[in-house]
Amino acid sequence: MPDSAGARRPYLQPLSRSWWLKHSFFLRYMLREATVLPLLFFCGCLLAGLYSLSQGESQYQSWLAFMAQPWVIALNALVLLASLYHAKTFFELFPRVMPLLPAPLMIAGQWLGTLLVALFLLWLFGAIG
Amino acid sequence: MEKTIIIQRYNPEQDQAPSAKRYQVPFDHSTSVLDALLYIQQQLDPTLAFRWSCRMAICGSCGVMVNKIPKLGCKTFLRDYPAELTISALDHFPIEKDLISDMAVFLDHLQAVKPYLINDSQNTEPHRQTPAQLKKYQKFSSCINCGLCYAACPQFGLNPEFLGPAAIVTAQRYNLDSRDQGKAQRMPQLNGKNGVWACTFVGFCADVCPKQLDPAAAVNQGKVASATDMLISIFKP
Amino acid sequence: MNQPKRSDEPIWWALFSAGGVCFAMVIPGLVLTLGLLYPLGLLPEAAFSYSRVQQLLQSFWGLAGLAFAGAAICLPLFHAMHRVHHGLHDLKLAKGPLAKVLCYGLASLLSAVAIVYSGIIA
Repeated sequence: MPDSAGARRPYLQPLSRSWWLKHSFFLRYMLREATVLPLLFFCGCLLAGLYSLSQGESQYQSWLAFMAQPWVIALNALVLLASLYHAKTFFELFPRVMPLLPAPLMIAGQWLGTLLVALFLLWLFGAIG
Repeated sequence: MEKTIIIQRYNPEQDQAPSAKRYQVPFDHSTSVLDALLYIQQQLDPTLAFRWSCRMAICGSCGVMVNKIPKLGCKTFLRDYPAELTISALDHFPIEKDLISDMAVFLDHLQAVKPYLINDSQNTEPHRQTPAQLKKYQKFSSCINCGLCYAACPQFGLNPEFLGPAAIVTAQRYNLDSRDQGKAQRMPQLNGKNGVWACTFVGFCADVCPKQLDPAAAVNQGKVASATDMLISIFKP
Repeated sequence: MNQPKRSDEPIWWALFSAGGVCFAMVIPGLVLTLGLLYPLGLLPEAAFSYSRVQQLLQSFWGLAGLAFAGAAICLPLFHAMHRVHHGLHDLKLAKGPLAKVLCYGLASLLSAVAIVYSGIIA
């Protein structure tokens, strides 16, 4: 018979790399984290646009042509979806990190901010007003 | 009426790894997972090992994974599950035997944040507290140390040195208490890379907490406190 | 337990949080107008013309360009690279100082480029 100390043999299952596939809660977390991948693409586009602007009008025109390519438009549609999903998660987390006002009020206030910026840009670039 | 309970069994004297065993358990509307485990132990297999005590979600000792979600056995009912359910020991802790985990890491982390009132004043008067002062920490004070939040936290699974949700909740609970003067002693633990900063706000700890005390919020409010503490340390050499 | 060393994470977390606000409040409207409606021909042709955009970025003594670079490029980049850094740890792909230097280094480098070019345009 082994002594009681010798019989102790704790089993530890190390966390597998695919832990986030285990259930839907972790999948939603990974989806939230992955919203930055479309964002990186859009930041790259903007950086290229800024560079092309400094290089003169013909460079800028070819950047606009790049932005109008179907696959770029498709990716930018994904950027919009990612930014809205990010906004939903981010706005809901904020009142838990800084509980300044009742949570529904803080969430509504942040969505109002998103809406106002979008309306301002639509006005600035001539779709409304 | 019966349901099939599949239990991940592990005998350290014989097994290399846990393996599944099936049991048929009768149930009615009030049968909890803990009741089912007790039935199996008393009627079907006396070698089944698990922890339990109070049966009313106070002692925090009957935590297990039910269908991969951390649950208190006494607060989880067979009626809410389909014909089969799988029970295993809490994730991220070493398994001693069957459903019994070694909680030592969690207890070490809890101890590291000094989970008690620290107050050096020799004042023997009662420490009066207003309802507003009580409200500041009360929501974080109902932790029963069941460890479900550790089993829910992938960051603790990836890095067992992470202080973890319950320890940080408890640190916040005492830091926010008007009778306490120990914040300066607790902040260094929270400020480290294995303190609040190992958290990525997965938020699953808040879902599984049987006392609904939102450990994720406490940890992330701890980030604000730690960032403030860093700013103060820069301006106050 | 020994007293652990203070983490520098508050700096990256503050940039991540500020970038998160920009990603949630500025990017939706910007990608809607610049990335979708304009290329689809749903906005006036002149809205993003060379002279118009240059003029817009130069307004308020060039501060508009700087604000654009900060809110639409630099801070979102720090937000993104913070999540990439933690994502690499989550997926057990990389941990330790190299991944950190590469992630925040890239964000810093591209941010500097954005600020320099917004300055050149102004």
